Amino acid sequence: MRPKVHKTWIESVPPRSVRYALACRVVTNANGHLKSEGPFVTSRQAKAYRTPRGGTDCTKLSRLFLLVIAIIFLSQLGHSVAQTQTSPTGVLRLRVKVKIGEATKGLARKRFYLLKGTLDQNKVVIDAAEQSPYVSRDCFYSKLGASQQLIDWLKAGDCESVYCREVEEEFVNGPKAVPEFVTAYAAGEKEFGQSNIGRKWLTNNLPPPLRDGFYRDRRNALDALLKQAEMASGAHPLSTMTDRNGTAYFTDLEPDTYVLTSLLPIEVGASLDMWKCELQIKPGDIATEKPYQVSNKKDRLVRCVAVEKPIPVCQK
Amino acid sequence: MSTPQQKILAALCVAVVAFLNMGSQRQSSRTRPTPAPIDYSKFSHNTKKHQAACDTCHKIPTPRWQQTSTYPDITDYPGHDACVSCHRPQFFKGAKPVICSVCHVKTSPRDEARLPFRNPGVKLEFSIEFPHDRHQDVIALLNFRGNESLSAFAHARRSWEDKLPTYNNCEICHSQRGVPSPPAAGWADGFQPKPETFKSVPTGHDSCFNCHWKSQQPVATNCAGCHKLAPSTFTPVTVPTRISLKFMHEGGGAKQNHVADCASCHINITKSASVRGLKPDVPITSCTECHAKAGVREDLNQELAAIDKNKAFVCTYCHTSNVGSLDPPASHYLIAQRPPLKRKDIK
Repeated sequence: MRPKVHKTWIESVPPRSVRYALACRVVTNANGHLKSEGPFVTSRQAKAYRTPRGGTDCTKLSRLFLLVIAIIFLSQLGHSVAQTQTSPTGVLRLRVKVKIGEATKGLARKRFYLLKGTLDQNKVVIDAAEQSPYVSRDCFYSKLGASQQLIDWLKAGDCESVYCREVEEEFVNGPKAVPEFVTAYAAGEKEFGQSNIGRKWLTNNLPPPLRDGFYRDRRNALDALLKQAEMASGAHPLSTMTDRNGTAYFTDLEPDTYVLTSLLPIEVGASLDMWKCELQIKPGDIATEKPYQVSNKKDRLVRCVAVEKPIPVCQK
Repeated sequence: MSTPQQKILAALCVAVVAFLNMGSQRQSSRTRPTPAPIDYSKFSHNTKKHQAACDTCHKIPTPRWQQTSTYPDITDYPGHDACVSCHRPQFFKGAKPVICSVCHVKTSPRDEARLPFRNPGVKLEFSIEFPHDRHQDVIALLNFRGNESLSAFAHARRSWEDKLPTYNNCEICHSQRGVPSPPAAGWADGFQPKPETFKSVPTGHDSCFNCHWKSQQPVATNCAGCHKLAPSTFTPVTVPTRISLKFMHEGGGAKQNHVADCASCHINITKSASVRGLKPDVPITSCTECHAKAGVREDLNQELAAIDKNKAFVCTYCHTSNVGSLDPPASHYLIAQRPPLKRKDIK
């Protein structure tokens, strides 16, 4: 049988303390005498009995319990914040297409960067990028004294370095042979005693500047600009490379203003193209939405158009 | 606080706090165990005295590498001199010195046979550092010059090999592989993946040394340029974890539509500076370009619709039941232009 709760207690206890009471004795009215029953009761029991759970001792106990709970909560807070704090991020899907003559195709295998901040905030970096002198690949290797055959071999594959494509047999032997490859091949064959390895490992025996000098020069220039960009914005620049269709993704982006840029100009046909556009990433921007169109020509859907310059003439 | 019950409650609270903090205290106050006797049958690169320059012990290439390899490589254990300078006492301890068993099949002066190098029975000690982004930059950087055929790239070598140069691409390291041994628990649903399913990962030095043998850092003698001592030994993963086990890299019907540029689907690979924490990162959009086309192929939509009708429906077009019976992620619903649902909320 449910004990009858003493009315006076119910009326005298403010509702707030009822809420806080978690473990007190049940106080019942038994034959006109106040009597406490049972050991501790659970909050559910207390609620069921609608017991006042007031009184000085009980309130103190409740407060003590709350204090302990608060300490536990605070001590665990650091961990839980680190574990559960997630902010909504966005995705930027690039679709880079370029028009050369009448043909329009995706710009394949090109790296794009995302600098945090506005164009104005990144002005120093963009200005530095624009002012950095550009030497074309052909010009670079020509100045190094590369043979015309090597320059042609790189050009045929539009390669920045010799790592771009396999050196086939015909380029170490016969009329199409590239002098630099012939020398490196001979050195490899002598070193390894196997012609097959001599050819496959040919790049190991090429002079470094001829091997990947153009790529390294660009890489060094990019590294300097990226460092500058990081100092300017306080955030590490992000980068991605387009696939064969000219599509690329930036993922896990904090909602903010960014500058999309190629940093260094890219040779597109007979032009040097450089992109620098300000854009906004909003929380929840997703890759399934319309892609962010990038091109070298203005168009209704294009949101970032390149600044074009002619490729400088090689100064021999 | 005078009643016994209140005291008990207070004590209980203190005990709870003490228990919750015990973990951290245990970490900080852990006493150093008494050093165990050294087991000389087990070699560890973690031992401080084993952390000298790699070529102190390993000769690169190993003499007579031609006997076991098709290219110059580290093919065998270091010679006795690498060990004996410090371990002379262990070398001459008893009739069968236990230290010999690190490299030798038998601990006998008359039997020189060595264990395979590296010994597959021993856990790995080194993890690999490989910047995909740098490698992606140097291989096959194509400048578009209006030549349509040049805009295609990885995997596409098949179709142009008669007329175009062979470009280096992801396939120089990741080619088609045989079906790996099934996981310990077997393949989910007994589904046997086909050979076209997986791509390989390099397991030797051949795909590194062709460029990094010498002069291009990290070179062969700079082992630490790629190999980093892991915090603990580990067994390499031989079975790739696949969410969509039914996807085949070399699949996509008669036209092999899955054979495409790797970076088209693995969207984050071109910015990965390390293999640490590397994930496949294939968004659903890579699939739905073909598999969620209204009126053409509606594989995704059909399965989501089936869940609407039957919350126990298992998606089987791409997944095995261990994955297909879970709630589809929000991205799947989003691309299908449906509101995200949880199975438990479907009546």
